Amino acid sequence: MVENRPLLSFLTHLVLIVGVVIVVFPVYLAFVASTHGNGDFLSGLVPLLPGPNLIENYRLMLTEGISTAGAPPLWIMLGNSLVIAIIIAVGKIAISLLSAYAIVFFKFPFRLLAFWIIFITLMLPVEVRIIPTFKVVADLGLLNSYVGLTLPLIASATATFLFRQFFLTIPDELMEAARVDGAGPLKFFRDILLPLSRTNIAALFVILFIYGWVQYLWPLLVTTDSRYYTVVMGIKRLAATADGEPQWHLVMAAVMLAMLPPVLVVIFMQRLFVKGLVETEK
Amino acid sequence: MQTKRTIFPNKLLPYLLLAPQLAVTLIFFIWPAVQAVKSSFEREDPFGFKTTFIWFDNYKRLFADPTYLNSVGKTAVFAVSVTLLAMSVSLLLAVSVNRVLRTNRVYTTLLVWPYAVAPVVVGILWWFMFNPSIGIAPYLLRGLGINWNHRIDGSHAMLLVIIAASWKQISYNFLFFVAGLQSVPQSLTEAAAIDGAGPFKRFWTIVFPLLSPTTFFLLIVNINYAMFDTFGIIDATTSGGPAQATNILVYKVYADGFLGLNIGSSAAQSVVLMLIVIALTAIQFRYIERRVQY
Amino acid sequence: MATINLVDLKKNYGPVPAVKGINLSVKDGELIVLVGPSGCGKSTLLRMVAGLESVTSGRIEIAGRDVVKAEPAERDIAMVFQNYALYPHMTVRQNLEYGLKNRGTPREEIDRRVKEAADILEIGPMLDRKPRQLSGGQRQRVAMGRAIVREPAAFLFDEPLSNLDAKLRVQMRVEIRKLQRRLKTTSLYVTHDQLEAMTLADRLVVMNGGLVEQLGTPTEVYDRPATLFVAGFIGSPPMNLLSLESIAGASGFDGLNLPAGTDVVGIRPDQLTLEQPTGPSLALAATVELLEPIGGESHLHVRLNTSNQAVILSVPGRPDIAEGAAVTIHARPADLHPFNRESGRRTDTAVANP
Repeated sequence: MVENRPLLSFLTHLVLIVGVVIVVFPVYLAFVASTHGNGDFLSGLVPLLPGPNLIENYRLMLTEGISTAGAPPLWIMLGNSLVIAIIIAVGKIAISLLSAYAIVFFKFPFRLLAFWIIFITLMLPVEVRIIPTFKVVADLGLLNSYVGLTLPLIASATATFLFRQFFLTIPDELMEAARVDGAGPLKFFRDILLPLSRTNIAALFVILFIYGWVQYLWPLLVTTDSRYYTVVMGIKRLAATADGEPQWHLVMAAVMLAMLPPVLVVIFMQRLFVKGLVETEK
Repeated sequence: MQTKRTIFPNKLLPYLLLAPQLAVTLIFFIWPAVQAVKSSFEREDPFGFKTTFIWFDNYKRLFADPTYLNSVGKTAVFAVSVTLLAMSVSLLLAVSVNRVLRTNRVYTTLLVWPYAVAPVVVGILWWFMFNPSIGIAPYLLRGLGINWNHRIDGSHAMLLVIIAASWKQISYNFLFFVAGLQSVPQSLTEAAAIDGAGPFKRFWTIVFPLLSPTTFFLLIVNINYAMFDTFGIIDATTSGGPAQATNILVYKVYADGFLGLNIGSSAAQSVVLMLIVIALTAIQFRYIERRVQY
Repeated sequence: MATINLVDLKKNYGPVPAVKGINLSVKDGELIVLVGPSGCGKSTLLRMVAGLESVTSGRIEIAGRDVVKAEPAERDIAMVFQNYALYPHMTVRQNLEYGLKNRGTPREEIDRRVKEAADILEIGPMLDRKPRQLSGGQRQRVAMGRAIVREPAAFLFDEPLSNLDAKLRVQMRVEIRKLQRRLKTTSLYVTHDQLEAMTLADRLVVMNGGLVEQLGTPTEVYDRPATLFVAGFIGSPPMNLLSLESIAGASGFDGLNLPAGTDVVGIRPDQLTLEQPTGPSLALAATVELLEPIGGESHLHVRLNTSNQAVILSVPGRPDIAEGAAVTIHARPADLHPFNRESGRRTDTAVANP
């Protein structure tokens, strides 16, 4: 469309640039803070330009941590976060694929009931049932374990729905052709359905990896042993040191490290991320 | 409910396929939820030896408790503010991105990544910016004659959590608004342009009404987000204070249950929250159903 | 190579009958086309033979074996689907091999059959491409190839050409016919296109409302439609069906000598003429409404003056007739098909019916 409104174009870009600044600025500040030394925060205003201590701060946090805050070195927590995010993402995808397959490709008594039981999980986010869930996990002896950190978060109605929607769009003839070709249900699942679901699985993995990585309340409740701390909950411990002002440069180095993996995933897998986000929520 | 035209005839297999998800759901979702409902009708003595069934006493006490009612009020203010702020900013950005052609991918990339930042980290970032002694925001505000201190001033604290929570949600809303804008048929805006409507008129009379499904969807999602997914932000910035000023419902459940160890009251609060989620989900699904019929 | 026998085959969806008792014997190497309007039960019938729909009652025998309880894979049939149903993530070669691999066919045998099918269908150069890189006609060939490599007792075709454009459809129709003649594989072919049915079939089954209306060779069905439904369904433009009242009093009407019970007569558009034929004829006065030249012939739409009944004629060339002109149309008594409206059947004794 021909449109000759230079002022409007200018305004459009102005809005976007201001938007980007608002979005980026808090992180820029954190980055700047993470490159300074301890003394730079006593002047009454945070520094606005990067300082010389970048490598030193990050090295210190990665390898040693802040012992007074009771948090282990960051590489341990980053490792835990990675393991947990991957277990949650893979676990959710696996059990959702299986249950969506059962619901779409089979007819059996109590099928509707099963669907509703899964559906209900949408209505019970962990935040609203913390205490009884904590109790179940404690009774099962799963506190301070990867199982306890991940298993209660693994059931997911949204992933099941996404796969159900996708399976319903697969032409009936494809499954019929496979049956005429002699494929049983497991063979069909492995040879046809899984390969066709690849893009959806990847998109969902991106979303669920982020979901697992940013978990805070649940790890906070079920871990008391610092060997199982995740980076997101560990940071809070670093920031909340009892003796007054935290060591800002080190806290912010940890913040940057905790943010980096999922943010990089979003930036470098933007297409999958957008697909996963828009499709799971609809 | 829909299945395929032909189905596999196996009898046992579907149950085996469903077993993992059903087991996890029953053990970690349904059972705890039932427990929450049960304990919301009970009182536990201080030593945890004996529980008595007390009907609706926990609920009665809850709704007579001024701190709970205060929390309900704070939650409402918080949720409405976050929803309005986050949605209007993201709509403005989405409309702008939709107007630029060459650079829109760059802008999109720069705007979407906060989705991946954990709420608690968001809290720390903004807490740092608004730190009364060294933060940049209080420094600038002092220039305007405002003495910022969210540790003392309840409305400052509320403003801080609203800004932080909205900041995180912008990327999400932005993506959905962009998707919604792209699904508005271009022929309609072209027809309006030929009919003599300028860009602003086109937006308000054509695009915005057609965007209403997306807007409504985001409205529900944002309320849901503000009420339940902002625990980390509150915990990192204000911990519900000062003087309960930012003690939203989901934070209070945790504080009363884990820190205050008031199991009965916390269970009753959980049940109330579940009812709210169920209501929001029901609204959302009714709307999705209606949209499918379009 | 095998026969297929259907014995009193029925299918109900809940209380709704879709197929109401079908008896059919397909001879070895024969190509039978099931044709009818949508919802007539032809696809359901085919899918029951394939084992994709359960059978409510009746028997299906393939090569003399009752297969009603057998899985699709155990029936020794191959199927070509309407939308081809090629596995999108597999190459053409993998698509062809899949069914053979599932049956544990030895590697050399698989390679031999794939090569043979590729040669027959001329898809050799495409073996390592994915389906989405192929044109519609090429996908169609691959779908056929997948059936051929199986060397099954029978081919089942479920409207395989309906997704192709008109030109390609004619071309593929000829190829399917040639291929079936060459391989001599017993085949059941479902279509709603009567022209496709006429040109492909050894014998034709016209279905309507879950029942067989007529079974016969294409010529038999065309020349002696057994029912009013078949008369109206087979042939294009369709047969003119005229009630006796609408032509009563026309010249030649009294000499017609129609069988008892006749109240409708049918006449094919190409058997109506504008010139008086030699011998006795029925002559009807009519007014021209529209002339449609379609190339070598023209369709003339007229209305009978006495009854306002619409009639179509197919006439050779492009007659110089203005719309609104008065014409007289002629029919030879021998070309009239007498029917009874209530029973829907012919009133002269059925010869072509089984």
